[in-house]
Amino acid sequence: MTAGHAPSARLYWIIWGWLAGLMLLGVVLSELHVLPIAPKTIVLIVVGLSTIKAALVALYYMHLKTDRRLLAFVVAAPLLLVALALCVLFSSRLVKL
Amino acid sequence: MSTAHAATLASHAQAQTATGIPNGKLGMWVFLASEVMFFTGLIGAYIVLRMGLGAGWPGHEGHLNVVVGTLNTLVLICSSTTIVLALAAAEQQAVPAVRRWLLATILLGSAFLVIKGFEYGAKFSHHILPSTNVFWSCYFALTGFHALHVLGGIIFNGWVLASTATASRWTASARRLEFAGLYWHFVDIVWIFLFPMLYLFN
Repeated sequence: MTAGHAPSARLYWIIWGWLAGLMLLGVVLSELHVLPIAPKTIVLIVVGLSTIKAALVALYYMHLKTDRRLLAFVVAAPLLLVALALCVLFSSRLVKL
Repeated sequence: MSTAHAATLASHAQAQTATGIPNGKLGMWVFLASEVMFFTGLIGAYIVLRMGLGAGWPGHEGHLNVVVGTLNTLVLICSSTTIVLALAAAEQQAVPAVRRWLLATILLGSAFLVIKGFEYGAKFSHHILPSTNVFWSCYFALTGFHALHVLGGIIFNGWVLASTATASRWTASARRLEFAGLYWHFVDIVWIFLFPMLYLFN
């Protein structure tokens, strides 16, 4: 790490708990159908949970939260392109040529 | 670790560059950015194919075991935690702890590949191949490329572990542990998205 205060080992275990818990929540929602939620809504929720897990790993395990801001821009560049690609992909569902 | 080694580690951490970030670390982040685009291409192809087929999407038809996939996801999450604990130990100059956590990471990564190998074996024994249908083409392409990245990460981690063997080698290459960790976390993030796509959204 090049900047900021290093997180403690305890925080890393707490993040592990969140990662495992969110992963299990996604599995339960998808497989056990415990709540009356439409399948498309479940897909959105599970993708949202995956995004939260990825953000936790990037912010705490990859130290983006405490590292230099320049690295956040390096990460943001491909994420913007990913967002653009997804917009193009899903817009094809809305626009019929 | 001796005071001299600790001082060298600290001087690596404070390496002066134009960006304020060590060149190797910046290089690793730029490499990971290119890897994001690589997997975006593969996942984008999966989304296009799936949306194009609509109700005709074959899915895994019960041939993927969600429990096994969940177990493998948990294994990879645990390995991400063990490698960040190795880095935390390195910052405290606790080399034996670095060795333990790195070894745990390598074993967990290997366990992931072994489980994936059993899954592949079960598919092949049921004559399920990449050519079976579009779902299995996507499954083998996405998980195959991911598994290759896991293998690369295991080799990288093994190289860093080997560098802890002697104090002089560790002093010269301690910085690589952070690069190995960044790469390993990226591999974990990719699986975080592949698991629900392939196993849960049937």
